[in-house]
Amino acid sequence: MTRLSRLMPGLRAYVLLYLVFLYLPVLLIPLFSFNDGTVVAFPITGLTLQWYGQLASEDALLRSLRNSFIVAGATAVFSTMLGLFAARAYVRNRFRGQRWSEGLVMLPLVTPVIIVASAMLTLFMLIGLRPSLATVVLGHTFLTLPFAVAILKSAFEEFDPSLEEAAYDLGETVPGTFRRVTLPIVAPGIVASLLVTFTVSFDEFVLAFFLSGDRPTLPVYIWSQIRFPARLPNTLALGSLLLGFSVLLLILAEYFRRKTRRIAADAKR
Amino acid sequence: MTGRSMIELIGIEKRYHSFQALADLNLTLQEGEFFSLLGPSGCGKTTALRIIAGFLEPTAGIVRIAGQDMQGVPANRRPTNMVFQSYAIFPHLNVGDNVGFGLSRSGLSRRQRKARIEEALAMVALEGFEDRHADALSGGQRQRVALARALVMQPKVLLLDEPLSALDKKLRESMQFELRRLQQSVGINFVMVTHDQYEAMTMSDRIGVMFDGRLAQVDTPTQLYAFPANRKVAAFIGGMNFLPAQLVGEPAGRLEVMVAGLGGLDIARNQGVARHDRELVVGLRPEQLHISRDEPAGFDARAQGTVTDAAFYGETVHYHVEIAGVPEPVVVSVPNHFHTVDFKRGDRVWIAAQGASVIDLGARTDN
Repeated sequence: MTRLSRLMPGLRAYVLLYLVFLYLPVLLIPLFSFNDGTVVAFPITGLTLQWYGQLASEDALLRSLRNSFIVAGATAVFSTMLGLFAARAYVRNRFRGQRWSEGLVMLPLVTPVIIVASAMLTLFMLIGLRPSLATVVLGHTFLTLPFAVAILKSAFEEFDPSLEEAAYDLGETVPGTFRRVTLPIVAPGIVASLLVTFTVSFDEFVLAFFLSGDRPTLPVYIWSQIRFPARLPNTLALGSLLLGFSVLLLILAEYFRRKTRRIAADAKR
Repeated sequence: MTGRSMIELIGIEKRYHSFQALADLNLTLQEGEFFSLLGPSGCGKTTALRIIAGFLEPTAGIVRIAGQDMQGVPANRRPTNMVFQSYAIFPHLNVGDNVGFGLSRSGLSRRQRKARIEEALAMVALEGFEDRHADALSGGQRQRVALARALVMQPKVLLLDEPLSALDKKLRESMQFELRRLQQSVGINFVMVTHDQYEAMTMSDRIGVMFDGRLAQVDTPTQLYAFPANRKVAAFIGGMNFLPAQLVGEPAGRLEVMVAGLGGLDIARNQGVARHDRELVVGLRPEQLHISRDEPAGFDARAQGTVTDAAFYGETVHYHVEIAGVPEPVVVSVPNHFHTVDFKRGDRVWIAAQGASVIDLGARTDN
């Protein structure tokens, strides 16, 4: 036992309760998704997989799922690409206005999404851009860029700059150096960034709700269904799948992120 | 050495805003020379190396390599290759691919490349290491891979940035000999940057000593040791006692001086120092001084003093001896012949010196 927990005997119980209150509601979703009654209440009347089975025949759901994949895929690629160059510049170079620039990139993490969403909708309308999947991608790229930059910055921070110099010194060109040395070494960081930005975009609701127009993404679809009690079990099943999928992606992302650190640490040894 | 100049640095200057990293650097390196830039950290030696490599452009001045002006020639098209301080072994490639990295643009066939890689690995005694992964190498092996990767390019000049600083002491000493042997067998210029005087002295044909962005002296290790150009160089390379002296006479090429505590001595005139004056400073190397209990015979000068400190270094013992008329205690180092010499604090001793080992360091006001 650590000193702190000896001093405060209730600390363990407190932490335990805290975690239970935090995660129990989330865990109830998969639990009730197997319940064969339509009312979300205990006791569980029986176990069934029928709600999951019905999902496959919902056309609107499948369409929204497809939309979400398109949006999250494009968002992940765009923000990771932008993040890659930004992160390298932030770590490798020192330039005027660097701190301001880094602050601005990180700002979406703390700005109220609803404000951003309404501002973006106004802006897009103003310049004649109708709400569509493309506008959602633009919004999500803005929103996920801080994640990409943060992950890739840590990849570059672990990366000895002499490696790029060595490649250049050995006669390689600048793009060649990027392709043969920089990319392979930060590759796990890139994969981690793709996975995290994909997940954030895939689960994002507010921006998607404002900017998607008549082509809803999956979270928007779920929201539209949750109002109908009869549809609730289906929504719970869908939510469980979404939850599992997100957790899986984030675990993978963390695995790749640690891998970059390991590679970079080897190079430094 | 064939006497042809391989690297010429003419009036090199490097400025970062108001900070002057290099000032008026002029240096000519002969073909096949092992040259070291020696100085404390921040003296500009690495900046000079990176200017030769092409990673930095000088603010002013000309860099010529093998007679060609290097202005506007980037690092990837210069006939130089570099061994980095961190070795910069590509972590995602095995040893063979690391060494062969620069050959991919050479237009050589796969077979020829393989032969060149084998040859380079043999040069650094890593035959058969091609498939070894980068993270399975020891520090010494990483350095050898870095050397092979640079030498396989057959550069005209090999640049080494603190090549031994990442190795432990034992390995560092053996690598000194190996680097020297390697340089002699390939016969190209090695330009090494180091802050370690012993590394520089054991390996180099010539050494350039730098302070505050300026070259203080360029000379062979023995000349540098025997005739430092000023007090700063004298203090940086080896140990040195500085004693005030007065100029008495100047017979042909020599100086007659009265050294504080030691008395009259006839010493060689140091051509390297800036100015001579009545008030001089002379240098005495700790290991060039004799120390004994009884008054020694056969020395040009002697003085009696009191031991104020004794430090045991293992291979040598250092004594600090206070002498009347000398401002600082004089340091004397003697080989440790298993305590045949063993003085305690407070002992009265004699120290003695030969005129030939006393170094003229020029006017006192310049130092």
